Amino acid sequence: MEKLILSILKNPRKKLFVILIVLASMGGAVMMIPTKLVLAKMLPGKSANTYTIYIDTATNASIEETQKVTTCVVERLKKEKEITDMEVYLGQGAPLDYAGLVKGSALKSLKNQAEIVINLTDKHHRDEPSYMLVHRLRPEIQKGCGSLTPNTSIRFTEMPSGPPTLATIVVELYAKSDKLLRRASVQVSDILGQTEGLVDIDIMNDDLYTKYDILPDKEKVIRSGLGVDQVNQIIYLAFQGMPVAVKNTQNQQDQVPIFVRLNNETRTVAFDSKEALEVKLSSLRLMNQMGMMVPLSEVMILKESESSPTIYRKNLKKMVTVTAECDMVSQVYPLLEARDRMINQLSVDYEVRKVEGINTYMFDLELKDKKTGEELLVRWDGEMKVSLDTFRDLGGAFIAALVLMFLLMVVYYKSFALSGIVLAGSFLSIIGVIVGHWVTDKIQLYFTETNFFLTATSLIGFISLMGISARSSLLLIDFSRSLISEKGMEKKAAIAHATATRAKPIMLTAVAIILGSLLLATDPIFGGLGIALIFGSMAATLVSLFFIPVLMDNTKAMLPDDYCFDEDMPAKSTWCTLTENIGELFYLRRKEECE
Amino acid sequence: MEKYKIKNIAGHLAKAFLSNPLTMILAVAILGLGYISLEVMPREEDPQIQVSGGSVIVAIPGATPQEITNVIIKPLERRIREIKGVEHVYGTAMNNVGMINVQYLIGQNREESNLKLYDKVMQNMDQLPTGTMPPLIKPFDIDIDIPILTVAFYKLEDHHDMDTISLYKTIREIQQNINALENVSKTTLKGVKRPQFNVLVDLDKLSAFHISLGQVAQAIKSISGNAPMIDTPTPEGKLVVFGMRNAIDDIDDLKDLIIAQYMDSPIYLKSIASIEYSYDIQKYDSSQIVYQKGFEDKVHKYHEHHEGAEHNKIEFRDAGDQITMTVSKLKGTNAVIIAQKAIEELNRSKEELRKHGVGFIVTRNYGIRANEAVNELVHHLVLTIAIIALILVPFLGWRESLVVTIAVPMILATTLFLAMITDQTINRITLFAFLLSLGLIVDDAIIVIENIHRRLHMPDAKDKTFNEIIIEATDEIGPSTNIATIAIMLTMIPMAFVGGMMGQFMKPIPLNVPVALGVSLFVAYVFAPYLARKLIKYEKAGEHH
Repeated sequence: MEKLILSILKNPRKKLFVILIVLASMGGAVMMIPTKLVLAKMLPGKSANTYTIYIDTATNASIEETQKVTTCVVERLKKEKEITDMEVYLGQGAPLDYAGLVKGSALKSLKNQAEIVINLTDKHHRDEPSYMLVHRLRPEIQKGCGSLTPNTSIRFTEMPSGPPTLATIVVELYAKSDKLLRRASVQVSDILGQTEGLVDIDIMNDDLYTKYDILPDKEKVIRSGLGVDQVNQIIYLAFQGMPVAVKNTQNQQDQVPIFVRLNNETRTVAFDSKEALEVKLSSLRLMNQMGMMVPLSEVMILKESESSPTIYRKNLKKMVTVTAECDMVSQVYPLLEARDRMINQLSVDYEVRKVEGINTYMFDLELKDKKTGEELLVRWDGEMKVSLDTFRDLGGAFIAALVLMFLLMVVYYKSFALSGIVLAGSFLSIIGVIVGHWVTDKIQLYFTETNFFLTATSLIGFISLMGISARSSLLLIDFSRSLISEKGMEKKAAIAHATATRAKPIMLTAVAIILGSLLLATDPIFGGLGIALIFGSMAATLVSLFFIPVLMDNTKAMLPDDYCFDEDMPAKSTWCTLTENIGELFYLRRKEECE
Repeated sequence: MEKYKIKNIAGHLAKAFLSNPLTMILAVAILGLGYISLEVMPREEDPQIQVSGGSVIVAIPGATPQEITNVIIKPLERRIREIKGVEHVYGTAMNNVGMINVQYLIGQNREESNLKLYDKVMQNMDQLPTGTMPPLIKPFDIDIDIPILTVAFYKLEDHHDMDTISLYKTIREIQQNINALENVSKTTLKGVKRPQFNVLVDLDKLSAFHISLGQVAQAIKSISGNAPMIDTPTPEGKLVVFGMRNAIDDIDDLKDLIIAQYMDSPIYLKSIASIEYSYDIQKYDSSQIVYQKGFEDKVHKYHEHHEGAEHNKIEFRDAGDQITMTVSKLKGTNAVIIAQKAIEELNRSKEELRKHGVGFIVTRNYGIRANEAVNELVHHLVLTIAIIALILVPFLGWRESLVVTIAVPMILATTLFLAMITDQTINRITLFAFLLSLGLIVDDAIIVIENIHRRLHMPDAKDKTFNEIIIEATDEIGPSTNIATIAIMLTMIPMAFVGGMMGQFMKPIPLNVPVALGVSLFVAYVFAPYLARKLIKYEKAGEHH
């Protein structure tokens, strides 16, 4: 070991070779991310014991229609032996969970809404992870049950492995005009539908349907001795019904309401048409002040009109949301693909402009209608935004960590060059992190056909790795320095000797970390962290044992302050000429001195 | 031989504790505290994210969405934007109702945020248009809103007389019992059908008898009044108490109600309407359950049933209407214990329920999930420590490796105890933080032990006592170990400032890893030398070779 290091240090060509290898692998590893050899994602999916199916039928659907869909879904799921029980919640949300909290499950109270909670057998005793189950059942159920009633959306909600979001992909459309919003939202959802890997596409907007307005003829109402109030009440009582009184029973200490409504046979209207409704209303009669019966149709006019859909706003602007889920793929790539498609396809109708600047809204698009000149903003939110925010913050944390560490080193060594070496050494563990992900991805693809992603936890692993590899470099530098100053060893020999002696604890640490992370690597969420630590510390060990000595040899700061250059001229020239990278950058004053 | 001068805190600590009998007691105390913390700390599956927010619901009967947007949503949105810490304001305008959802920045104090929202709405009450109902302000409360336990009650197969209403009445008793359990904050019932008299009027008969619907309603209203008891004194000064009984006592009273006279004969309610005592038919929400046979008792006999189920064919049972009871816990309490107690309570009434024809299935149990997640990771942690210990044996020797193996639980125990007194919970992320720090914290102990080991085999070892060697060895690596550990601590600290959901989610890592590292330094300087002195057999190097 000692000889090997010494031979490298003594031969400038070998040194150059080591530096080149390191730089090349560094460049190669970093390039793996843009070339999609390693895929990035915020958090991977995790197998759970439960999932929820959200069902939304058309806005004007009846509870019976919604029930038809839920029954269909339940019937199809009865074939699955891994399902222990299913709870259907019609016209309401299921008991709230973290996902439901963000997805607005608590606010569900309409006839067209339903949720089905599916409980599965324990994940440890089940071969098929829940996300595979969903992946398999989704197309079958959507195809089989989605067409039962018009405008039905069936969405599968898995337990999020990290913090929940409204949906994996959320496209927010902002514009002033309802018509433009409605048209654009359909276009956007079509584009998302064409994109591979995106499923459960849903436009959060009410469907338009025909409704009927009753216009009371004021003059006739007054002349026939009725009140508009009375008309309103009776119509409501007849068709919706209401409790008119409560009673306390003797044997049961409950207030029991008495509810009045027309019976089901006479309440129903034959068809969804104006005429049928008119016929029904004419048979309903009101009693006026004089005790005479007046048919309702006498005092009112029926008009067809368009339904008034719910208006959604976010941060004071009118908005329509289109959501989509990713089916076992990272959200990054489908999003970019869909965005490219949008730029292409929407430029037929709109002038498309990308939003400038780099921030976490950098994928947004600004559209301008070519005909009307109305403007529309397409904003990407959801998991992508959270990921970008997280990666940005973690990146910031990483830079802060670098700066803090550098400052600490500078205080400790009083030398920029040595601090630079420590920093460079710790930064290089990224080679291991990225290559490790690539290797794991390939292995996992081979066995389970699912990708292994570079996730936020990988980044956390990388940050903690920096500290670990800094420690190795530090020990090396300290030991070599004390060898030079206390034992008076020659620099190259001292470095080689120090590396050889310190190799054992450095490798021991690495082995401890690798073994410690093995179980971590099998976890779905923290797998990235585990892989980052395992491969990163391998890389860090190699870097500390071969690259750091080379760098150390290239700086003069290794020598103690009172080590004077006059006693060793040839060595000095080597130092001075070979202080390439870091020494040259940071240590100008010392260099002048030495020349 | 000159006396060695201790230069670093490492040496001082090592010297102070090396032959102190209190060291042993301290060590045992730390391990004990750690174990207690592990048992006592509230367990969760995932760490809680501080989500603050709420909704403001304002109703104007008869208003269109456009109207609501203009008179309610727009002015209210602007007012709410004035609140500091609000991230997003979502407005929804429907027919008759406007709703504003407020989402605060992640990590904002929940109580304060709720108060601010309430305050802002109350301040602007005067600006609400006429005809508006009083606004309803509903703050989010994760602890109360998200139940940790849900149980579905359903009718058993062989009890056909059990109807939805008696199901409700039976369960209401149990709900009361469970709500009385310690630390249970809220229980709700979903899918409940409440008893009600339904008077369903036949429109054709109404027209035939020349009665209006208003008359029917009026007639029912007029006889169902309740009056308070009346008392009056007798001449002797005694009190006579009397009062009007509710005129309707059972369904027959309703049926025989006279609505009007027609052609000199009375028209009873029963002749124009069907009257039944059933449930609230106007509420359309309902819930049903379907379960696979053999999985009813999965709480207890999960695995055996599963083994059995593999051979049988899949058979589901449609149990029809069900009522789901949800149980939430108070903030900062242990979901594991609460869920367990609630299930015990349910099992106590199991036989009783069965007699009534009611069965139940636990459909969600965050307590068990949290417990399983925590136990699994604790298991991983122990396994990993064992693996590391084993791998150190060939490198360091088994005594040295034993020292490291004892040091690790001490570090984790101290960290866990510190986490407990700072009100953290024990969850997956906390344990991942421990797993992550494992590789880092063994390091300090390894370096100390390795250096002691090395110094013992150096030629000058024979001139010194064992204690001296240990202190010197510890002191020697002190400065670089200190600085390296501080460097790692520094790399983890900025992570604490990561914002958003993810930052909150990952928070246990920056909170616990630096603490564990700091503790690992202390343990490496205090206990590692002490244990080394107790465990490592010291042979004078010179004599040995």
